[in-house]
Amino acid sequence: MKQENTQQTVQTKNNLAVPVAIVIAGALIAGAVYWSARGNSVAVAPQPQAGAENTAGLENMNPIEGSDHIRGNPNASVKIVEYSDMECPFCKRFHSTMQQVMNEYGKNGKVAWVYRHFPLDQLHPVKARAEAVAAECAGELGESDAFWKYTDRFFELTPSNNQTNIATALPQIAREIGLNETKFNSCLTSKKYDKHIQDDLDNATATGGNGTPWSIIITASGKKYPLSGAQPYETVKQLIELALQEK
Amino acid sequence: MRNYLKNLQVAFGEVFANTSYIALASTLAISAFLFAVWLPNFGLIGEVFSTSSAPLTAKLKIVIALLGGIGTNFSFLSAGYTIAIAAFFGVNIAMVVYFLKRTRTRLARQDVAAGFGGIASGALGIGCAACGSFILTTALSSFGAAGALAILPLRGGEFGILSVVLLTLSLVLISKKIAAPLICKPS
Repeated sequence: MKQENTQQTVQTKNNLAVPVAIVIAGALIAGAVYWSARGNSVAVAPQPQAGAENTAGLENMNPIEGSDHIRGNPNASVKIVEYSDMECPFCKRFHSTMQQVMNEYGKNGKVAWVYRHFPLDQLHPVKARAEAVAAECAGELGESDAFWKYTDRFFELTPSNNQTNIATALPQIAREIGLNETKFNSCLTSKKYDKHIQDDLDNATATGGNGTPWSIIITASGKKYPLSGAQPYETVKQLIELALQEK
Repeated sequence: MRNYLKNLQVAFGEVFANTSYIALASTLAISAFLFAVWLPNFGLIGEVFSTSSAPLTAKLKIVIALLGGIGTNFSFLSAGYTIAIAAFFGVNIAMVVYFLKRTRTRLARQDVAAGFGGIASGALGIGCAACGSFILTTALSSFGAAGALAILPLRGGEFGILSVVLLTLSLVLISKKIAAPLICKPS
């Protein structure tokens, strides 16, 4: 009799394990949705509906223009357009990868790197956009390569993952690269680049970007290849080699 | 706890004494791993193979190079649970197949549910970690709850951990059945 009771208890425990696990999963999702809907502190930007596998969206990419930040030869055979979030740790990692790419392919004019903003407000509210504005202000106030000097130093200096103290880090980098701090601070609060950054973000979404970094590799013939995430240098290199072979 | 570990040991010894089950588990685990690592770039792979005029070797080099993404495009945590999910998935299915072939009986609902729950939550938790869980971000955004991920401490990685837990539970349950002596028992 006692053994039967023990068996029943064990059976009950086993029967409970799965429902409990499902309830925990459900509670996690429900809680997340509830807090997301309740809190106003998290800005919800238009979210991409398409997965990275949707390559049809690539044709929506805005053409590369004078207002873009281009590192390397603007007439290079291969162009890499990167949509990046300055607080994203994977963008920080990919920035180094792209610097390595430019060291190998930029010097001989084969590859150009175009930088566009893709601040993820849901993950990095306020900071990612403020940092994008700061980079634009640097580009406006400094010499022709000030935008790149600023972003290089930014990714080198800051910890990413929403841990940057923007009140101190942004002016510090501006000082380091020789910008006028008063003009820089005035530019930061001017909102003059808000539309430009929003346009970049909208375009990233329209091209199928689902996270950062999101890159589009363009061949000499205009063919586009999507690249999602902070892929290793070897992947980018192989993709460039493939793009260079395309006529 | 001791019994569970003993059951696992007995079941592993029994199932994987046969090399065909090692092959099955390995194939499934590797497939699951490749799926997770290539998932964010299925679009690129499709484009490269369907439209590029480059030689096949150049295309294959890209696909192979993308595997390096496990080191650069995944956080330490997400890489860990992605590998664990792939391995547990392979082992789980191989053990279930062994059990079904041996006994020719159906599995109890709870065993199926644990395995299925583990695989499903694993799929949700797969995050290329391009700042979030890839599938979950897409799924939640389709009903306007994308911001939900922002308040999860691990940005959706919770589902990966949950998946490892459920797959472990599934392994424990199936091991118990495999390790049990083959006897006729009145129900």
